[in-house]
Amino acid sequence: MGAGRVLALLAVAAIFGVVIAWPLTRLAIEALGSGTAPFIAALGPEGVDAIRNSLLVALTVTALAVTGGFALALLTEHARVPSRSFLLAGILLPLLVPDFVSALGWTRAFGPAGLIDRLTGVELPGLYGPVGIVLVLASGAVPLAYLLIVAGMRTRAEPDLERAARMSGADGAMALRTVTLPLLWPVIAAAGGLIFATTMNTFGTPAVLGRPAGFATMTTRIYSDLAFSSTDAAFERVLGLALLLVAVVVLVVVLTDRLGPRRTERGSIAGPRGATRPAGRLPIALTWTFIVLTVVVPLLALVLTALTRAVGLPPLPENLTFANFGRAIDSRTMPALVNSLLLAGGTALACVALGAAVAIAPGQRWRRRGSGIVSLGFAVPGSVLAIGVLLAFGRSLRDSLLIILIAYVAKLWALAARPIAAALDRLSASAVHAARIHGADGPTALRTVTVPLISPTLIAAGLLVFVFALHEVTISILLYGPSSATLAVAILNVQQLGDPTVTTALSVLLTLLVMLCAIPLFVLRRWWSASLTA
Amino acid sequence: MTDTVVRAPRRVISVLAAGVLLAACSTSPASSPSAPPATSEAPETATASTSTPASTLPEPSGTVRVYTSVTQDTVDAVLAAYAEAAPDVTVEVFRAPTGELDARIAAELRDGQIGGDVLWGTDPLSVQSYAAQDLLAAWSPPEAASVPEEYQTDTFWGTRLLNMLIVHAAEMADPPTDWADLTDPAYADGVGIPDPGFAGSAFAVLAYFESNPDFGIEYYEDLAENGAVQVQAVAEVLTGVAEGRFVAGMTLDKSARDAIAQGSPIEIAWPASGAIALYSPVAVFADAEQLVNGQHFANFLLTREAQEAIASTGWQPIRDDVEGPPIEGEQVSPDWDEVFDRQEELLMEYRAIFGG
Repeated sequence: MGAGRVLALLAVAAIFGVVIAWPLTRLAIEALGSGTAPFIAALGPEGVDAIRNSLLVALTVTALAVTGGFALALLTEHARVPSRSFLLAGILLPLLVPDFVSALGWTRAFGPAGLIDRLTGVELPGLYGPVGIVLVLASGAVPLAYLLIVAGMRTRAEPDLERAARMSGADGAMALRTVTLPLLWPVIAAAGGLIFATTMNTFGTPAVLGRPAGFATMTTRIYSDLAFSSTDAAFERVLGLALLLVAVVVLVVVLTDRLGPRRTERGSIAGPRGATRPAGRLPIALTWTFIVLTVVVPLLALVLTALTRAVGLPPLPENLTFANFGRAIDSRTMPALVNSLLLAGGTALACVALGAAVAIAPGQRWRRRGSGIVSLGFAVPGSVLAIGVLLAFGRSLRDSLLIILIAYVAKLWALAARPIAAALDRLSASAVHAARIHGADGPTALRTVTVPLISPTLIAAGLLVFVFALHEVTISILLYGPSSATLAVAILNVQQLGDPTVTTALSVLLTLLVMLCAIPLFVLRRWWSASLTA
Repeated sequence: MTDTVVRAPRRVISVLAAGVLLAACSTSPASSPSAPPATSEAPETATASTSTPASTLPEPSGTVRVYTSVTQDTVDAVLAAYAEAAPDVTVEVFRAPTGELDARIAAELRDGQIGGDVLWGTDPLSVQSYAAQDLLAAWSPPEAASVPEEYQTDTFWGTRLLNMLIVHAAEMADPPTDWADLTDPAYADGVGIPDPGFAGSAFAVLAYFESNPDFGIEYYEDLAENGAVQVQAVAEVLTGVAEGRFVAGMTLDKSARDAIAQGSPIEIAWPASGAIALYSPVAVFADAEQLVNGQHFANFLLTREAQEAIASTGWQPIRDDVEGPPIEGEQVSPDWDEVFDRQEELLMEYRAIFGG
């Protein structure tokens, strides 16, 4: 290892120590400081119920979302589909809708007195309960799985291997099972681990859809204790439950990392696949049905709610108004938006840089360990992570944008690191070797070979981190100060006034805004890929 | 790339450091000579000031930090009034839902210093808890004399009342008129109630019913048997009734009146046996950096101007001599001192019925 590489690795380790290890240690100290009582309380009968419910929901959501994302990736990457860009936009659109309104979108669309109920008299049974929670969360996680799997596929397309398998007599299913899946496993595991952790941490959807059915998850219990955290016992239970949640998430993530096949050094680098086979009619019809039901209808319901004059009025022309958009924003919204955009941009750059730094780790084993360890931060529920960061840095950094940035990086580092590590796993070592043989030094090989090859994943990871940071409502609300208020503050201000027409108006504005941000990104990407092929 | 990450913070730190210095310079002369050790002086001030107006408090300047969970529109109205009363004071507000606010206070407390001077809560529960932990300054605001006695303690005072009452769908043939009606089979599977595990106002309802011999925890059993549905947030009940998911439910008066004013198809029924009122207290932290300014702001919340501002946003002012929204019937309250220690017990009883 060169001295530069050692220094860079030490720097990454130091940042890890500051932003993740120290706040988590402070949390553990506070939780353990009062003995084992918080943990025993967390493991009582209701606690065990909540753990079981959380695991059940998270595992089902992960399985559904990864399967769905993988199927969609096969469809759009391995076959020719008509109106491809509309299809891609439809698949990815849910990423741009803040998840604090996703449950609302579904209840307005499919619930009692929802859009479909008004039009056809049919409502979705079981929407309020575990089935509804799984449906809403899984359909929200599909684009995440899709984005990461497609990025992984583009890192190293291997049409030759699949063609060889088919020519040797394997049918489509067998080629999928023996060639495509094993090769993609690192990416699938990375996406699955992230979806599992996000689902274990999600609060809004289980709260809205689960409470009516008396269905408690670990997060609803944590937030209920948080509501009474002026007493020591409740506060310590929050920390105890959260640490237990972290343990469960990390255990499952580490296990899935070990499940998969080891690095596959088969095959060679092939150019981007030319999708030749046209896709079947049935898959395309199914995909569009899925998009209409899980994306278009809930979004339409949200937009109509945002345009309705008062809650409960039918969305008829005489009841429609733009006034809610005016009520959703005030003089504080603009500065909050600027802060949030700065923070989200900074966090995306930092997380992609830190995530890409595992590329210089000595070997795949350390890469895996690295991305496993940073998952610790992703596994902590946002509000508890914010408590940890306050405990660690509250005195010196309180009210600053920096303390929010630290919390965001601690939370979202893994969201970039895991896909990037997985993409590197898919990268053939021979490309880098070839560059080195031709005289490129380490940094040059990194710049001219590795980074361009994994650039789809770098962009996807950056986009995900940006959107997650922009939409979060649990972290910065504990950390902000007079000059560092974020969108989360504006959102919760509006949400607490309790009028869903205004809350949805704000979320619709937010979705439009991210769409506007996404356009330059796509242009940039076009330009980048053009410059690479030139 | 790592460079950009490190550079941005440095700028933030220096800005922050400058801010802290400025704040320290501008406020220390005002606060140091006059800040009394609050606890020891409190009795004298109490007797001396019951009849004196607010202006006898030292004229404040500098900053004051307010930690609050009160809804933003009410905070804004009060701040606008305070800007006229104390033009030299910069008010820095940290507003968050009760849970997040309390979690921040808990973290800061364990780190050595609560960052706020004033605490303006939504319900008495958390404020009671801080009082029990000796975190609040004992003193006597000059304006406290105008506050009804049941909303006064040594360390915190009521600023407004929130009324939990019944909302039902508009143009109902036979609407519910009292709490007991909600268990009537006529409203089977159509009643929404807020989960007391997430909001102090919903907890107040549980506390009142549980400790009232006319209702008892059996009231909740009857509600559950009648198919009542719990929702996480109080406002969800209102939304559910407006949209037709529920026919009736329990919710807060201000949000119901706001929705009606906009044209939502709902109506209010003031329960015959009384709306359940909870008060929203203000207190000053004992270790407040700006104790004097904090006391000035807390006292201001009890003045006529502040009370009028509070009333203008639809909440019932705590002072009887300020006109607020219509009070259409009796008001009842849980015995806060009695329920204070029983939060967990009450929630366990409730969850045994409604799950989770």
